[in-house]
Amino acid sequence: MYNPKPDTTYGAKEQLSQNKVLSIKKAVELISDGDNLTISGFAHSLAPIALVREIIRQGRKNLALTSMGECWAADLLSGAGCLSKVRLSNYMFEGFGRCMNFSRAVQQGDLEVEDYSHFGITSRLFASALGISYIPTKVMAGTDIVKKVTFDKDKSLVANCPFTGEKHLLVKAIEPDVAIIHASRADEEGNTQLFGMTSIIDEQARASKKVIVSVEEVVPTDVIAQRPELTLLPSFVVDAVVEIPYGAHPAGMFRYYNYDHKHIQYYWDQSRQEESFKEYLGKYVLEPHDHWKYLEMIGIPRLMDLRADPYLGY
Amino acid sequence: MDFTREELMAVAAAREINDGEVAIIGTGLPMIAAYLAKKTHAPKACLFFESGIIGAFPNELAIGVGDFRLLSNCVKASGLYYALSLIQGGYVDLGFLGAAEIDPYGNINSTVIGDYSHPKVRLPGSGGANDIASLAKRFVVIVPHEKRKFPPQCHYITTPGYLDGPEGRKSAGLRGGGPTRVITNLAVMGFEPASKRMQIESLHPGISLAEVQENTGFELLVSEALTETQVPSEEQLHLLRNVIDPEGVYI
Repeated sequence: MYNPKPDTTYGAKEQLSQNKVLSIKKAVELISDGDNLTISGFAHSLAPIALVREIIRQGRKNLALTSMGECWAADLLSGAGCLSKVRLSNYMFEGFGRCMNFSRAVQQGDLEVEDYSHFGITSRLFASALGISYIPTKVMAGTDIVKKVTFDKDKSLVANCPFTGEKHLLVKAIEPDVAIIHASRADEEGNTQLFGMTSIIDEQARASKKVIVSVEEVVPTDVIAQRPELTLLPSFVVDAVVEIPYGAHPAGMFRYYNYDHKHIQYYWDQSRQEESFKEYLGKYVLEPHDHWKYLEMIGIPRLMDLRADPYLGY
Repeated sequence: MDFTREELMAVAAAREINDGEVAIIGTGLPMIAAYLAKKTHAPKACLFFESGIIGAFPNELAIGVGDFRLLSNCVKASGLYYALSLIQGGYVDLGFLGAAEIDPYGNINSTVIGDYSHPKVRLPGSGGANDIASLAKRFVVIVPHEKRKFPPQCHYITTPGYLDGPEGRKSAGLRGGGPTRVITNLAVMGFEPASKRMQIESLHPGISLAEVQENTGFELLVSEALTETQVPSEEQLHLLRNVIDPEGVYI
């Protein structure tokens, strides 16, 4: 985390108890109206969608997103009217089409946007993770990404390197209020492991003031220690752990379950119109009052069918 | 020999990858083209994806760069920031990009049609495209040839081509070499070395210069070495149809 206030200590976090396991409801209560969130997700994996559904059920408002490509969180939260502004580099339902709720909200003028490139926005998070106030990059220069500024008045700055004189684009550190991450497994203290690609989870978590991690399974620390190379986040970066099997559904988790192609297609079709999306929202987000009810609606045959083949991992 | 325009485009794109090069690949036609190159003239090319998946040999075709299919057989699974930092670090020879709009200097729009704050259509945004175009030694654009996709000026410049001309990239402080090819369903284009404006380099069989110009919203230059686009060989068609994309996902 980057803390711009000089009178506080870098890296100091409010110490929670060693056992950080919370219920879905309690974890989402750590999020306040108006918070700037950064949420994990790359295409149809790593998305903490069960937590996002709970954010909608708890009625959080005026949220901001600082995002790279977390299409699922962005589209659900846009469609439910929870967002007021977003920084993004790309929202796309890979293999299906545009994020229709997000696009509609922007087209109707309901959502303020600030565009970045993937490397540009992640560099802002990385600077915060390193505890420095900015970072030089070689991307975005000369384009409308830099020229069109909405709410990030100090989005970037062109400056010459003090050593070589080379021109760089500087981007400022950004410290989200809460990072919401879905990973494979963690212990009760928050040591978090991930199989497969890691998206920008490390940068998001280390950049943020608070970190909520949902995982497919909570495991003993011994299990973590058997494969330490899989640990993405050490416990002291993480504030809360929530055990949510199928917590990314309808997205997938490598080595646990494949993404649910049929449900994603259904979601995407429903999201094309505001009316039909409201039906989806009622049926799959608001009415099932918790995650277990949601999984019941999806049904055991489908959940079994999605389970990963141990050899392929999906 | 019968072949489709998509097959011709895939073969033209595959030709852009030289053996031993490091290429960053996106979803769709570039994925097919890259696997075709690997199985023919460029077996030592290293393919990687912005999702952080490096050296992937998937058992089946993926629907995107984040697809688990790419993960089940690759040499490194990392993260997005690492993958893109490889390009800034100078390791990457070329990338492939798509476009909603592309202008005479190869600048690309993938953000909005209309006004930025109240757009007629909000598109997905840059993603890694700006990064690849800013940083890779060169990049290739694959786009359907329609007049509205080739305007004199983009509604929004998401991704830098040569910006406003030969000095554009240098004065903006950009490092990469810029766009070298634009492959469409009608022709293959490049950029005239002095002006950095788009020029026709080869016409697909049966396509006239006039037809390409009619489908372009600005005046195209014509290369002095104008030729016909090389057609796919029997081996290439066999690989595309029976080995790489047997279910016809992209072609």
